[in-house]
Amino acid sequence: MTTAVRSLRLVLARRRLPPPTLRYNLGQILVYFLLILGLSATLTPFAWMILTSFKTATEILRTPPTFWPENPTLDNYRTILQDPQLPLLRFYGNSAFVAVSNVITTLFTSSLLGYLFAKYEFRGKQALFGFFLLTMMIPSQMTMIPGYLILVKLHLINTLWGLVLPSFLDAFGIFMMRQFIETIPNELLDAARIDGASEWQIFLRIVLPQLGPALATLGTLNFMGNWNAYLWPMVVITRLERRTLPIILTWYSTQHTTQPHITMAASVLMVMPILAVYFFFQRWIVRGITLTGFK
Amino acid sequence: MRHPTLRPVRRNSGRTASQRRFVLGVTFPTILYAAAFSLLPIVWALALMFFEYSPGRAGGAILGLGGDNPFVGLEHFRNMVVGMSREARLFRVSLRNTLVFAFAVLPLNLAITLPLAALIESVRGRLKTAFRAIYFLPAVTSSVGVAMMWGFIYDPQKGLLNAVIRLIGGTPIAWLSDPRTKFLGISVALWAVIAAYLWQDFGYNLVIFIAALQGIPHEFKEAAMVDGASPLQVFLKITVPLLRPTLLFVCVMTMLSSFQVFDIIQVMTDGGPNYQTHVLVLDIYNNAFRYQRMGWAAAGSFVLTVVVMLITIFQMRLLRTEWEY
Repeated sequence: MTTAVRSLRLVLARRRLPPPTLRYNLGQILVYFLLILGLSATLTPFAWMILTSFKTATEILRTPPTFWPENPTLDNYRTILQDPQLPLLRFYGNSAFVAVSNVITTLFTSSLLGYLFAKYEFRGKQALFGFFLLTMMIPSQMTMIPGYLILVKLHLINTLWGLVLPSFLDAFGIFMMRQFIETIPNELLDAARIDGASEWQIFLRIVLPQLGPALATLGTLNFMGNWNAYLWPMVVITRLERRTLPIILTWYSTQHTTQPHITMAASVLMVMPILAVYFFFQRWIVRGITLTGFK
Repeated sequence: MRHPTLRPVRRNSGRTASQRRFVLGVTFPTILYAAAFSLLPIVWALALMFFEYSPGRAGGAILGLGGDNPFVGLEHFRNMVVGMSREARLFRVSLRNTLVFAFAVLPLNLAITLPLAALIESVRGRLKTAFRAIYFLPAVTSSVGVAMMWGFIYDPQKGLLNAVIRLIGGTPIAWLSDPRTKFLGISVALWAVIAAYLWQDFGYNLVIFIAALQGIPHEFKEAAMVDGASPLQVFLKITVPLLRPTLLFVCVMTMLSSFQVFDIIQVMTDGGPNYQTHVLVLDIYNNAFRYQRMGWAAAGSFVLTVVVMLITIFQMRLLRTEWEY
């Protein structure tokens, strides 16, 4: 079929498009039915966690369990917030410190090195770039063991700095920033040079301000990755009061295995902040994932 | 025609001393840092796997290797294949479980995400954004949170799943602790963690598929519709073939991440019951940090690395020959 005929057919088809009929609506109804079915499957575990967190200790013992809490109570939250064994604010602080420090350092190094790889020629550039490519392909589980031994040597085990200092460089972030910075026209940088700007000034005043969306995307992904991290923080930190939230949650649940209403309330307290961040930065996260397929 | 005076500044001669200083000022600390925190761990891990290393023993002068931490050559790898020791058998169990896990997750994930993406894509406007945002919620939830939620869904007495099963008159199952019950030759505990993992992970592929579907020119589908194809035919004969590069990418990423599964399994079952959910990274972690057998664990992590790299290289090869539309 030639293009002309095809487009003619398309035009005709468009013109002949009927007004919304019953058949059309049935298809739509089926689509929405399936989507809402999937939605409830997605939301049920959240609902189960939240509803359980409002149940009383007596209600939780019942078999079969109730779905809706009969006498909704905030006691479980009170128990957690007043538990002297669980200074929650400190753990939020630990998690926030690690996540924010890592976001700031990796955003800085990623944009700086991305700029370097995008706009400068120097000896060994290909080798250095290839090395970062290699580190991206190696799973973290392989470098985790020597990484731990290095922190032992540096006396950084059981410190929050141990979770920050080794992760200044983020190969993935460098690649992403390089892609973005390549689109900044060279003329802009040369013009600044002619005006007498130093290379650092060009980076800080010209390049960095153009990277807003890229920084937001990378920063959000990085923040969530750090906030939710489990394996590496568990390796580095064993002292109770230095732990980050995910590790403290698993520890706390092993202390309360017979009290799911308490552990579910604790889970709510841990999960909710990140969901709030997500709704705030949703646009950037979705963009970042479609851009890179990063997990 | 190019005017001779308008030639762009040649890169080499255009480099000034200040630019060279800048490059040096950035690369020098970067290389030092990368040598300590990126290169050294790789080299160290590659060395560790040839030794019987435990951090508690003093060992030799260089990185504590040698001496009380003797060189064993390829002994660890020989053990992994033919050894009859407990850790050798557990390693093989973990490898097998990881393969089962990954090859169960991949088709199930695609069977959920691809049709769901098509459904969401067919919805218009703000509703589409809302659906996408909510379906992505599990993916941003921390894996520990997911493990806690699902752990309580699977609870034998108080869990939601058994409550539903009782309601419809079935027999309750101890989902995470019954070593005998099997389904399709895979233990229910492994199925249970697979389901929790799918729930947590499907949002990523969903978002990628939605973006890819948006990139398919509308004329293609319309033309097929005009020629009398049903929506299902359009999906299978037009959409899916055009999605091939994305499909390949998604398959590889899903494989890579399910080979590295750890968090939810460690929290939900810790490898149990009877090692039926004992996966590779859990095996590496246990050996390295619970039993201090770091040489053995490093060898295990090398196997994981080889698998991951093979999948990555395979993907790069395939993508290079893929056509784009």
